[in-house]
This record gives sequence, structure tokens and C-alpha cells, in this order.
Amino acid sequence: MSDVVLAVHAGVICLLLTGVESVLASPFGNSDVTRRQQGILTGMPFMAHVSARAYVDDAGRRMYFAQPPARIVSLAPSITEMLFAIEAGEQLIGVTDFCDYPPEALKKSKVGYSNPNLESLLALQPDLVVTPDDFLKPDVIAKLEQLKIPVFIFTDINVEGIFAHIQTLGRIVGRSSKADAVAMKLRREVTAIQQRVQGMPPVRMLYVLNSQPLITVGPGSFIDQLIGMAGGVNVAAKSTTPYPRLSMETVLQEDPEVLVFPVGKTEGISESEQQLWRRWSTMTAVRQGRLHQISADQLNRPGPRIAQGLESLARILHPDSSMGVELNSNVNRR
Amino acid sequence: MTGLASSWTHAGTVLTIHRWVTVIGTLLAASVAVFALCLQFGATSVGLGTVARGIMHIVRGGEAESAGLETSEIIMVQIRFPRVLLGFLVGSSLAAVGVTLQALLRNPLADPYVLGVSSGSAVGVSVAMLIGIGSTFMLLPMLPLFGFAGGLLALLLIYRLAQSQGRLPIHSLLLAGVILNAILTAFIMFITSIMEPNRSAGLMAWLMGSLTAPGYPALIVFLLYALLVLAMLMHKAQSLNMLTLGEETACSLGLETEGIKKRLFALTALLTGAIVSVSGMIGFVGMVIPHAVRLVIGSDHRLLLPASALVGGMFLAVADTIARTIMAPAEIPVGIVTALTGGPFFLYLLLWRKDRMV
Repeated sequence: MSDVVLAVHAGVICLLLTGVESVLASPFGNSDVTRRQQGILTGMPFMAHVSARAYVDDAGRRMYFAQPPARIVSLAPSITEMLFAIEAGEQLIGVTDFCDYPPEALKKSKVGYSNPNLESLLALQPDLVVTPDDFLKPDVIAKLEQLKIPVFIFTDINVEGIFAHIQTLGRIVGRSSKADAVAMKLRREVTAIQQRVQGMPPVRMLYVLNSQPLITVGPGSFIDQLIGMAGGVNVAAKSTTPYPRLSMETVLQEDPEVLVFPVGKTEGISESEQQLWRRWSTMTAVRQGRLHQISADQLNRPGPRIAQGLESLARILHPDSSMGVELNSNVNRR
Repeated sequence: MTGLASSWTHAGTVLTIHRWVTVIGTLLAASVAVFALCLQFGATSVGLGTVARGIMHIVRGGEAESAGLETSEIIMVQIRFPRVLLGFLVGSSLAAVGVTLQALLRNPLADPYVLGVSSGSAVGVSVAMLIGIGSTFMLLPMLPLFGFAGGLLALLLIYRLAQSQGRLPIHSLLLAGVILNAILTAFIMFITSIMEPNRSAGLMAWLMGSLTAPGYPALIVFLLYALLVLAMLMHKAQSLNMLTLGEETACSLGLETEGIKKRLFALTALLTGAIVSVSGMIGFVGMVIPHAVRLVIGSDHRLLLPASALVGGMFLAVADTIARTIMAPAEIPVGIVTALTGGPFFLYLLLWRKDRMV
């Protein structure tokens, strides 16, 4: 209780000293009381310091890190990829069973996935768990919070969210300049692809997430957004859920010009299931032979490889535009 | 037909040929109407009118080459018709198996999924999905074949577990089935938990029941198979009547109970395995339709069995039509609709019956 009282006092003093700014930066942690007291003694500059080390995750939960966490557990392949991309692989100690990129990720300890093994997670003594909110059971988060392990939740799974998540992770782990550079490069690449396909006639496409029964992506899903950015029109655009079981009748009526099948080691549509689609002989995509495969890992994971996924998708949808691609991406790399 | 004429007094009703023909005739007519109605509705605006216009167009010598017409024809012939047909067949089979098992096990809670054969089929399909098996083999889809094989294995296993000294005691059949069901369900959950989430979502969607029809070759195989088994079940209707009186009574009435029980178990299991293989687990139809029909027409199986089959077929066809149109262009699992519409309707029937008896 005394901690809380102290914190309140400190908060009041801060308020007096710095006005509104402090509201943004008054974390309710309990380890930061001495720091605040030091801050009070030394004057205002500490506020900047505190605010730079306090973070709010997508779920609106505030947390504070005195030091960059050194034992991070990632609960999604995309988050693992982000951490490696900003060269924080050293700080990463635990990953999911499905984290297979980059290859170094395979050497990290495994903690399961949607139902992570709490014991092996705790045995790693993490000082930060980063997780998306989908797939994860709420009681896992509650349990980790109860055990005073900070859980940082990413919910805004969209392209802008990826940039923001990379930058946030960078600041948390103390690699903000690298993260900013990665996010910037990614943003440039994505924008370049968007600009390239802009003005081209949009191509109707169906993304076959699951073939039997047909499940696809709808508005509100991450891949639906990518389809739009790559110059495509999702034939499931009228559905009301992000991952609808789309009726085959609608598919035939909307008549996709391109079918895209995700393929990969652990997920994706098998070759023979893809062939089964050829029986819809009136479909434009089948008549023109535009059945394409795409790396499930690149497209389904909202991580730093998203530019590559978007690039593949744009090439599938607008094959004639790929001349410009080489040039653009080369320019970007330099 | 003299067998049908022999008076069978049960639940206060006498079954006569006249009554049989009236009930079944009415239901057949209703089935045709329902079938047409289900063909009319879908996620797209294509309906019977579109098809009629298309046919007229061709009859008048016009060329049916406009893309819109071609697409609606494909939608009707390749998607909607086989799907309504599959829904009807699956519903009929589920209801008929439900009737049979409720009589055979003398348990009102029995449904086609109680004996674990369904879980065997589901395990077969799950394994096929887990190892990413190809989806066709000689025109026949692979998943149903795996499912059917799994169902057959479960059938043999339950039979071996339940039978003792050449007899097939009902209670050990029920126990063995329920326990095997639990074990196999756990196995399915294990498979979904080790799958990548996107894939396991696909498997769950399949398990929750989906009437997306396979191509015509597989559909026709299933049609013939289901009709054959249904006919054989129908043939045993009188034996079911006797079995409901208790095994000893049935025996004293001259029924060769052991053989009949074994045959009925095998027939229901073979049909259940096939149903689950093509459509996943669609709950509710198999348990409630027999009760609902029994409440209205009495419990003589010579009438109850075919009537339940027709009502079950109509019910599932309508439920699936709702499932594929209510959220169009998305679909919802048909099992949700069967439970949400059938449950309250059954409760209403129960109350209606109670009032009538007072």
C-alpha cells in the first residue's frame, strides 16, 4: 500500500512540476517510485526519460520497462520475425512451434502456440511476452499478469500496424534506430508496390484459405487489405466477417479472374485440392489458367516480410507490371 | 403388403395400408415441394425462374452462350442441386439411423453419433488432413474414403469389444460405443491442437458439418449406397417393432434377436460412417426428428422409419438453405441452424402433445 501512496504523491508533485505532460507519462508500476523520487530531486529532464520507457500496447494496457528486456518470449511467428529483423534476436529466448524464420528462430526454445505451455514459458524466466490477441486464450494472459510478467499485446493486425509494431518493439528492446530504419524501408517498399499498381484495372481474385469447406478472407482481415493494396478486388468483399465460409455460388457469380492458394510447410492448400478447382470450367481464372500459389508464410504473417508477400501478390495480379518492379526495389535497396 | 395390413396397435393408432399410403404420400409430395423451394434460394439471385428462362431460351433455338446464363446454369446444376440433394440424403439417413438406434438400444437419447462410428470417420478425415493427403483418387474424393475407412475400423473395434460368446448385449454395445467415442474425440482434439491454426480452423469447419457436395461421381456413389442401406433398414422395420418390446418378448415372438441386432448395428454403422465421411458431424437431426415424428404419427416403425427419413431429409435441406443464405455471401455451419430451429420446434411439439393428452 505504501508504494501506491508514494506513487500518488509522486504523481501529484510531477503534475505540479510539469503540468499536463506528466499525465501522459505517469505509469502505475511499483518499481519506479525511487526513480521518480530521483527525478523529483533532479528536476524535469527525467520526465522525458520515463515517458520514453513507458509503453501502451494495442489493448490499452500500460507498462514500464526500466531496462530493455533481455529475455523476451514471442508468441507469434510474425513477432519473432520482427525481433530478428531489428537485430534483437539475442534478446529473444522463446518462440512458438511455428516460428521457422529466420532459421535462427528454430534454435530458440519452444513454448507451444495458441495454447502455450505455461510451465516451459515460465521456466524461461521471461521479462517480456509479446503476443497477438487472436489464437491466445484470455486465461493465459491473466495468468502471466498474475505472475507479474509483462504481456505486450498486438491487436491492430494491418499493414500500418506492422510498421508501428516494429517501431514499438524497437523502442522497447533499445534498438529504435534500427527498427525505424526497418519500418521505413518496409513502408517505402509497400508504397512503391502500391504506386506501381495504381491506375491499373483492379483484378478480381479469390484467396483460398481452406478448400473443403471453402474459407477465405473478408473485409477486416489483414490479407483482404493486402489484396486491395496489390491492385486486386476480393470477391468476398461483401461478406461481413473477416474469415467467412464463402458460398461457392457467390464465387461463381463474382467470377474471380485469379485464384490464389497459399502453400507452405505447415499450412496451405495441397496440389490435388488446387487441381479440384479446375472443374469450375466457366470461371475466368480457370479458363485463363490463372491459378497461382503464394508463400503462406510471407502473406499470412503480418511481419517484416510483408513487402515480399505483397510483391508476389502484385506480380500475380499484374504480371505485366513486373518490369518496373526490379527497378523500383533496386532503387529502394540503395 | 399383407404384413402392413396386419393391425399393429401401438400408441393407440392402428396402421392400415390406407394410413401408410396417405402419410407417406403426403410426405413425398411435401418433399418434392421442399426440394424445389430449396433450389429456389441461394447466396446468388439465381433461382428456378432463371433456369426456366434459360431452358426456354435454348428451346427457342437461341444460343445459351451469354456468360450470365452459363454461370447461373453452373450454379444450379453443379452447386445448388447436388447440395440440396446431399442435404436431403444426409438428413434422411441421419433420421433413419436415429430411429433404428433408438429402437435397437431402447434409449431415447440415442443418435447416429452415440456409438463412436462417427468419431472413427472423423478421425479418418482428420488424419488425412493432417498428413495433407491428396484429395482425389480415381474420381472419388479422398477425404470421404479416409473417413469411411476410419468408420469401418471403429465399427469392427466396437463389435469386437461388445460381443461376448456370440451374443451382442445391448448394454455392452452402448458402453463400448460411448467409451470409444470419447477416446476418438480426444484423438481428434489432439490432432487439431498440433495443427497450424489456419489448418485446424479448416478441419473444425469440416467437423462442424458442411454439405458442400462432392462432384457427381462421388455423389452418385453415396446416393446409391444410402438408398440401399435405407431400403435394408426399412426391411427390418417389423423387427424393430418387436425389439422395442424388449429382447425376451421379441425372442418369444419368434424373432432371431441376436442376428437381427448384429445386422442392424452393422447397417446403421455403415450408413453413419458414410454420412460423416461426406458431411461431417451434423447434430440434432438424428435424435430429434425421430421423436418429433413419433409424437405425431405414433411409433410403428413400418411407418415411423420412412416418415422420419422423409421429414429428416426435408428438415436438413431447409436448414441448409437457411445456413447458406442467412449470412450470404458467407455461410454458417448447418449444425447451428438444425439445433436453433429444430430444438424450439421439438419443444413446441412436446407441449402440443401434452395439451392434447390432457
